[in-house]
Amino acid sequence: MRAIPVVVLAGGVLALAQSFLNPYYLRLVDVTGINIILAVSLSLTNGLTGVFSLGHVGFMAVGAYSAALLTLPTARKALILPDLPAGLQQVHLGLLPATLAGGALAALCAAAIGYPVLRLRGHYLAVATLGFLVIVRSVLINWERVTRGGVGISGIPPYTTTWWTYGVAALCLYVTWRLTQSAYGRAMLAVREDEGAAAAMGITPSAFRLLSLVVGAFFAGTAGSLWAHLITVISPNSFWLTETFALVVMLVVGGMGSTTGAVVGAVTMTIVPEALRGLEGGIQVAGLNLPPLFGLSQLLLALALILTMVWRPQGLLGGRELSWPRWLRQGSLPRRANK
Amino acid sequence: MRRACVFLLCAVVAWVTAPVGAQPQTVKIGALFNVTGGMSSIDAPGLNGAKLAVKEWNARGGVLGRRIELAAEDGKTDQTTVANAMSKLINVERVVAVGGLNDSTFALAAGPIAQKAKVPFVIAGATLPNLPDQIGDYAFMVPFTDDAQAFVGAIYTVKTLKARRVWVMTDKAYDYTLTLTKFYKQKLLELGGVVVAEDVYQSGDKDFSAQITRLRRISPPPDALFISAVPDDIGLIVRQIRSAGIRIPIVGGDGYDTELLVTIPGKALADNIYFTTHVSLTSKAAVVANFVKAYTKEYGRGPENAFAALGYDTFNLLLDAIRRAGRPDPAAIKAALEQTRGFRAVTGTISYEGGRHVPKKSVTVIKVVKGEFQFATETTP
Repeated sequence: MRAIPVVVLAGGVLALAQSFLNPYYLRLVDVTGINIILAVSLSLTNGLTGVFSLGHVGFMAVGAYSAALLTLPTARKALILPDLPAGLQQVHLGLLPATLAGGALAALCAAAIGYPVLRLRGHYLAVATLGFLVIVRSVLINWERVTRGGVGISGIPPYTTTWWTYGVAALCLYVTWRLTQSAYGRAMLAVREDEGAAAAMGITPSAFRLLSLVVGAFFAGTAGSLWAHLITVISPNSFWLTETFALVVMLVVGGMGSTTGAVVGAVTMTIVPEALRGLEGGIQVAGLNLPPLFGLSQLLLALALILTMVWRPQGLLGGRELSWPRWLRQGSLPRRANK
Repeated sequence: MRRACVFLLCAVVAWVTAPVGAQPQTVKIGALFNVTGGMSSIDAPGLNGAKLAVKEWNARGGVLGRRIELAAEDGKTDQTTVANAMSKLINVERVVAVGGLNDSTFALAAGPIAQKAKVPFVIAGATLPNLPDQIGDYAFMVPFTDDAQAFVGAIYTVKTLKARRVWVMTDKAYDYTLTLTKFYKQKLLELGGVVVAEDVYQSGDKDFSAQITRLRRISPPPDALFISAVPDDIGLIVRQIRSAGIRIPIVGGDGYDTELLVTIPGKALADNIYFTTHVSLTSKAAVVANFVKAYTKEYGRGPENAFAALGYDTFNLLLDAIRRAGRPDPAAIKAALEQTRGFRAVTGTISYEGGRHVPKKSVTVIKVVKGEFQFATETTP
């Protein structure tokens, strides 16, 4: 109940942003929202349960492609995908059902791969989830009847709005928060900290690991759908290693194992590179004419990342949560034990 | 922690509210290229060409009596960033027109933003057929399209190289490579050629021995190899094929047109290769020679590839349209672009006839002999 004022406040800010913000800044707000969904859902898997997954972008791809196939106007489908199965050919859905379907399919994929893969630990698990990403890419490239292969799908209707993005982001945050506050969340934490001890307490580690992977994948799928309907063109190259590592960087910067840390990481890694853009085009400082230096933003970010790792390896928030102001405060999350 | 947050907030506020250096007596146009990342070997020369064109116009007194200001943004070979950059150029920098990009995946991500804002977007080097139709009436193309270059490649294979039996290998990861193969095969079959075998790979593959083994098993060996590849891979493919002792002519598209084709296999192995591209930079034609001279003077080295020329042409075309429009207004510029007839560019003559936003241009064939790019022929398909 106490979250209502926050929701109202956030809604008000978004409404103001929609009516007054320049389309460029509004676009950044939307991109930030999508990255928040991605980072928070990954933090649920990677941070809370300690399942280090590098396949998150693969789930995003599944969501993006399936949602795009559902929202693409039938006339365009007949033109660019003439060999599509008849059932899919006739379907034309809105953003919400398509996004939910995309998320559901991604969750289904997660359940299917999670069962065998989650028996692995640590690095082995990370590599196996990376394997999932490779499989998704191969399917996207070779299943030409449905995905158009390397050509990709273009002309996706630009349905994504700030409201949809932040609606899904709010849902994602709510689910994550409810989960972490519940017995399920405690069990996940226990599995992360000491699997043996957790099992001794009657928790089935594999079930909780699978649960966190599936929930994370669902939101990755919805984020994929929102991204596809924002950019309007997707191809197998849109979901590959650069995106995977950009996402991991968001988590590392914000601090693994903290939901608000993931939000801070997503916001920072979306806004800062765009803000640094101004430096790249060549600027005038006190009569001094600096030449354009493209690549400067990547360089500065890389440097910032190294410095973070040296001085604050636990990330900006270091696994803690930012709490509400006192008048809104809820119960706080147990801190991550220092290993 | 709190202090850091306050600082970050202040920084963001300062950045958002920073005044955009608006000078009334300038015409501001945008350049959008992927200067960093995988596309940079093609896009960075493109931006250099663009800057050179603007510099030359300014030296001649600008356009419409005003100085030209070029707002350049880096798309970082990332679709989200490319779209952000396009939005920034239009909504923050308030440019009257945008030029740039050499790949359709990025042009398709950025194009709809320009279309929605009704700002002309001149695509410098993406060669996907029907690209402007997919974006809308504010998109224009400077290069020829892949169907045109694939047709010329096929005609050259059959008529000049006298090759009839062709082995085809395609990179399955790109729109560009798939389209090129499709149209090449279509023309080859029309001309009585045969595809003896087809093989595929994925961009990023480092070992082509499986494909080469299958190629060797073909008996009698094919007369030519058509390899549809992007710049990052073609050097390695040529190296492995030639190292395996296969000397059959290799034919390809404008993705070959970077120094990577020669530097990776080395001069001795980069031999007997033919590719279609936008211009031969060794051409004696005055417009080409002048461009090469100016570029060399400006950057201390010759143009890296035809994409430098395409970037140069894109901005010359755009500025010429602004001059003809008589006022720096996006709608007027679009109308002027549509009326472009016989514009003499480095990469050929540009006309947008019959309401089409794709020029009918000549295609150049380059022959690589021991690492040297030599002009072979120029035809209009």
